[in-house]
Amino acid sequence: MDLLAQAGAGLNFWNAPSGSAELIIKIVLALVLSGAFFFGLIAAPANLRRPIVGVFTFLAGLFYVTYWLWPSAIARDPGQAPLNPVEGVAFWLEDALPQVANFSNILTAFLLGLGVYSVARIHVGKLVKRQRDWEFSLVLIASMLLMILFGYWNWFNRHSPTGGLLEDPANWHFQQFASDMLFDGLLQQMDAAMFSMIAFYILSAAYRAFRIRSVEATILLAAALIVMLSLMGAVAYKWGNNSFIQTHPNLSLEAIAGWLSDNVQTPSIRGIDFGVGIGSLAMGLRIWLNLERQEAS
Amino acid sequence: MATPDSSIGAKLQSLPRTLLYLILLLATSLPLIYGELAGGVSVPNQPLGAAVDFYAALMKIPPGKTVLLETDWTNSTRGENGGEFDAILRILMARGIKFAVFSTADPQAPQVAMDDIATINALRVQKGQKAYVRWTDWVNLGYFPNSEGTLNALAGNLATAFNGKKDVKPGGGLVDVFESPVLKGYTKLTDIPAVILVTASATSTVMIERLSGKVPLDFMVTGVMGPETQVYYSSKQLEGLVIGLKGVYDLETLMKQGLNGQGPDAVPSQKYAGLDVPPVNDNLGTGKGSAYYPTLHFALALLILAVIVGNVGMLLTRKRTAQ
Repeated sequence: MDLLAQAGAGLNFWNAPSGSAELIIKIVLALVLSGAFFFGLIAAPANLRRPIVGVFTFLAGLFYVTYWLWPSAIARDPGQAPLNPVEGVAFWLEDALPQVANFSNILTAFLLGLGVYSVARIHVGKLVKRQRDWEFSLVLIASMLLMILFGYWNWFNRHSPTGGLLEDPANWHFQQFASDMLFDGLLQQMDAAMFSMIAFYILSAAYRAFRIRSVEATILLAAALIVMLSLMGAVAYKWGNNSFIQTHPNLSLEAIAGWLSDNVQTPSIRGIDFGVGIGSLAMGLRIWLNLERQEAS
Repeated sequence: MATPDSSIGAKLQSLPRTLLYLILLLATSLPLIYGELAGGVSVPNQPLGAAVDFYAALMKIPPGKTVLLETDWTNSTRGENGGEFDAILRILMARGIKFAVFSTADPQAPQVAMDDIATINALRVQKGQKAYVRWTDWVNLGYFPNSEGTLNALAGNLATAFNGKKDVKPGGGLVDVFESPVLKGYTKLTDIPAVILVTASATSTVMIERLSGKVPLDFMVTGVMGPETQVYYSSKQLEGLVIGLKGVYDLETLMKQGLNGQGPDAVPSQKYAGLDVPPVNDNLGTGKGSAYYPTLHFALALLILAVIVGNVGMLLTRKRTAQ
């Protein structure tokens, strides 16, 4: 258990110097052990698999639940020994936290890898079998391979001892230009273009659907109108630039919009947040204690 | 066979979609083009309290200190987050505040941030100012896939949360970030004067859950996220809050005019009465907030007009049917 709590900044059991043989051996060992566990889990009988997953889920959750509930150490000095067992556990939890966070980051990164594997498996299959719309799969696979190739090529260059020179585009080579063109020139621009289309849908939907058919709809429309007008600085300025509003500042557009925000919108969202929070807690407990699965089975 | 309704009410309710799209295209692009040709359009503005608090909080950070800058946006929201990130970079660079960039939301985010830093740096060099140097003035901590775990670790200990992270040292390859002038000597989260989050995702909620009360937090979010984030500003869990394009314009107004200053354009603030928060005169020209704000006016005006036209059409049709 002490291995988990080796939290001192610098080298410890869980890492090794960058590029060293020790680091490569550790990575390979971790991959072999994880792979063995993964395939062992697949090969295990179904009635055994469920309790194994349940135990791991419980242990993973137990750390954070204990960390959250256990009294934490206050004003701990470096190298200080715990005064009693309660403080000892608090110290251990505190020291182990960064390693557990690293585990969770690595596991989440594997989820990204799983996504890439899934996309590649589906589209390569489609391509090989020449299924319908295989041309789109070809574009997707080619784009992914190009991005990986030039992305990593550029990454290795930038992390080499002379990588700092690449901060200046005058020192760029073909791979930097290619990576820049793929990421900034294409991907990011398409990202922005796709998102900007929402404006057209919002306008069309507001025009067709926003009708004052009831009292509730009228109140909603009036509130939306005030908030939208308050966001238009020129309109808000014109509205407030007269003696009446200046002597009655609570009637300025900003003040009315602020009142709506503070007294109507914020309490409503707080209420929703409480509901969502309680629901999340209940769902978290069901997953953590493996109750969901038992009920489903 | 029923004949199609050709009354004014029916016509007002069934404007062709293509026409609406064309009007929107013109309403959003013409102000941009005009603004570009005219060298910027000045719109009168009264910054909101949340943006004033954000600016005042940033201006009290001592030069030379390091802030953590979590950047969780990509170009899909650059209209808002891009302007926010530019504004925060300009303030930090003008005041000589160092920063460490990281992301917990999107693998693309650190690269988008680095591109933005390069753009602002190029502008600074073009205007004869000192470039903000990677490693010396700022570092890139990279992408952390698990937001909850990372921010939880950060709440516990800054040095161990980022243990082993390396960045490019000019001429030195990859070196531990805690050896850089940006993070050297920083061990606890409380050593950091502020954590600033520029986001288009729910990492704002995660940050509140994990870091609230442990370090001053300042958020810059999209307009859509405004209402949900306002809750945390109202409950004083955030020092300051910049919401959407209006927030960017507020910040740029404050950068230009300062708070409670002597000039005729200075923004007055009763909350900071007696405290003169100076402007940030970085001379880098118009920001994205000033460039896009007129467009927001036209887009919102068009939206309001479209709703009015639809409702007038509905009322006219009802009246006709009743007759």
